[in-house]
Amino acid sequence: MADVRVERLRRQFGSLVAVRDVSFVFPEATATCLLGPSGCGKTTLLRMIAGLERPSAGTIRFGDRDVTALAARRRDVAMVFQYPVMYRTLSVVENIELPLANDRTLAAAERRRRVDEVIEILELGDARRLQIDRLDLGARQKVAVGRAIARRAAVTLFDEPTTNVEVHAKLALIRAFKELRRHVRQTIVYVTHDQTEAMTLADQIALMRDGEIVQCAPPRELYDEPNSEFGGWFLGNPGMNFLTVHPAEGSGFVVDGVPFPLAAPLPELEDVRFGIRPEYIRVATTPLPDSVPARVLRRAVAIGGQHLVTLAVGGSRIKAKVPPAEGPSRGAPEVGSNVFVVCPINHAILFHRGKRLAEPLRRLGSSAAACASS
Amino acid sequence: MSRIRFEGISKSYRDAIALDRIELDIEPAGLTVVCGPPGCGKSVLMRILIGLEAPSAGRILFDGEDITEMPAAERSIGYVPQSFALFPHMSVFDNIAYPMALQGVPRSEIAARVDQAAGILHIRPLLAKRPTQLSGGEKQRAAIARGILKNADIFILDDPLVGLDFKLRESLMEDLKDMRAEIGATFLHITSDPLEALTMAEHLVVMDRGRLVEAGPVDAVYYDPTCLRTIELVGFPRCNVLPGHIDPTSAVCATAIGRLPITLENGATSHDAMVAIRPEDIVPPGTGPTPLGIGKVTLVENLGSESVVYVQLHETTLVTTVPVRTLASLDLGDPFPLAMRPGGPILFDRASGRRIGRITSSSGEMHDG
Repeated sequence: MADVRVERLRRQFGSLVAVRDVSFVFPEATATCLLGPSGCGKTTLLRMIAGLERPSAGTIRFGDRDVTALAARRRDVAMVFQYPVMYRTLSVVENIELPLANDRTLAAAERRRRVDEVIEILELGDARRLQIDRLDLGARQKVAVGRAIARRAAVTLFDEPTTNVEVHAKLALIRAFKELRRHVRQTIVYVTHDQTEAMTLADQIALMRDGEIVQCAPPRELYDEPNSEFGGWFLGNPGMNFLTVHPAEGSGFVVDGVPFPLAAPLPELEDVRFGIRPEYIRVATTPLPDSVPARVLRRAVAIGGQHLVTLAVGGSRIKAKVPPAEGPSRGAPEVGSNVFVVCPINHAILFHRGKRLAEPLRRLGSSAAACASS
Repeated sequence: MSRIRFEGISKSYRDAIALDRIELDIEPAGLTVVCGPPGCGKSVLMRILIGLEAPSAGRILFDGEDITEMPAAERSIGYVPQSFALFPHMSVFDNIAYPMALQGVPRSEIAARVDQAAGILHIRPLLAKRPTQLSGGEKQRAAIARGILKNADIFILDDPLVGLDFKLRESLMEDLKDMRAEIGATFLHITSDPLEALTMAEHLVVMDRGRLVEAGPVDAVYYDPTCLRTIELVGFPRCNVLPGHIDPTSAVCATAIGRLPITLENGATSHDAMVAIRPEDIVPPGTGPTPLGIGKVTLVENLGSESVVYVQLHETTLVTTVPVRTLASLDLGDPFPLAMRPGGPILFDRASGRRIGRITSSSGEMHDG
């Protein structure tokens, strides 16, 4: 096992720069998810680490070993693809064991121990002697995950392994992956476009955009503390709300005619936006401290029966998630009704031209909240 | 405004029945979502409405007028197909303008209307480009613009967001709703995604295996379904459904997670039932909800603001959603106390799938084992 160090790694296809001079360390024994929209370069970066794509520039090291010029088979990587790549005439056990059999340094007893371990964790005991052809796509992909983990390769790579399996098999795969990770710590790089999968599986997420890693953090931190509007928007269903902020007289600022006093004056900056996630916005039928009037434009049932409410606040639109309550329609706000909303500023983040503002104003702390309510 | 009426529409391909006696009214000037799993017949029904296929039986009425035999070109319908079907040799502008040009709309009016639609769909900077220069999401926007710019009373969008990036879907759903509000015509939106259906719909039509399951205003379909299949298909995460046996003398339904108190509706006499408990009706124990016991966490999916928690309780896996900010860090195998919001869960007859009652509140121990 080793960490993966890429330095000024670049991949260009004609005039298109797929991966743009990325320098990054994938830490040892850590599962890092590469997450980002289509075309952000995540798969190209993974394929370069695997040795399936040649970099235009830059280096790749596994620990101290420079593997940039090495062929894929000489790098000691295990990989799981979108479709399970299997020996169709072999059994489940044989498929998992085969890559280990090629390793002459491995004793037969250790080989069997590793195979039995993954079969037990993945609950494939009943299927161990079955020919791989007799399993459905989801179960085959589970075997592919087990085979990759059993290898104990320097680096284990996953290229969107749940894309082509149906939803129940996907959950089973995610569960299997998590269960395996509890027992076997390996250096893992996992590519996905699915933020739920990344947030569920990863120790840390490297968020990519336009060929660059724009932020890397554990899932919770990435969600709560985005360093850019892109991060705030990309994570979350729906993403963060953004409101344009104007400096107020004295201290504080104004959002759509609504004054937000602050302990410290806002820096004299153009293009400052206030970001707040939908779940932190409170919606009430009567005025609350610090509330501003709003009108309900739309409402829909969202994840887990919450109400996703689109509100007009001044000239802006914001989205709020309102938890289901008792009673008919579960306390859903009426479309067209006038309500009051609170945007708690201790949950807000300020951005300047898309980037999060530096300390101390990057998050408007509790002193600011106290000031606002006084 | 066109009121659409399907009267006994059936469609068979040799022995396969694609549609089975569909009786359905579509609200004029509304956004109706037709949802159901792949192969349920929703696209065939739309193709019959457009006139691309003839029904094997039944009629279609527009404002009372039978249009079953009317050629497709004469029906006042704008259509956005699943595949973008853009002409590669034309600019985005010309692609969007094409149906209007065919209809003989004056050039100056075409330019104004393309500009308006391009504004709503955020594709003004792309109008001079060719389709090959566009991303998947941009092509989809161009195809939608072309579909909606026809002079029509009805617009059909056949799974317009399928295969697109999650974030693109989110913004396109918003754009589509804005567009609907602006145009004011009757919109039919087809999808197999339950969350997309709930996000888009004013009215919801649920189909399964060539049959109409249920139709109505979206709130009624979600909160007050009359069919088990509806509650299984509409909602995210998927509803918890478990078999039970009704003891009418004690007004209790015995299930694998306990004996649940029930109220039967309309003199129902069923014995074998299915209990449907939406994830939001499984809540932390407190003074109000009915306790179910302590389960074991088998998976936690992190959605950002909420987590989907899978909990095993007496050999049954229950799914619930919990706001992340109220949730301590959970590991696989951790104990997880469960309760049920009374009045929420619904009881269905096992054989017919029709609704027969509700689970009500009770006190005391739920599990008899």
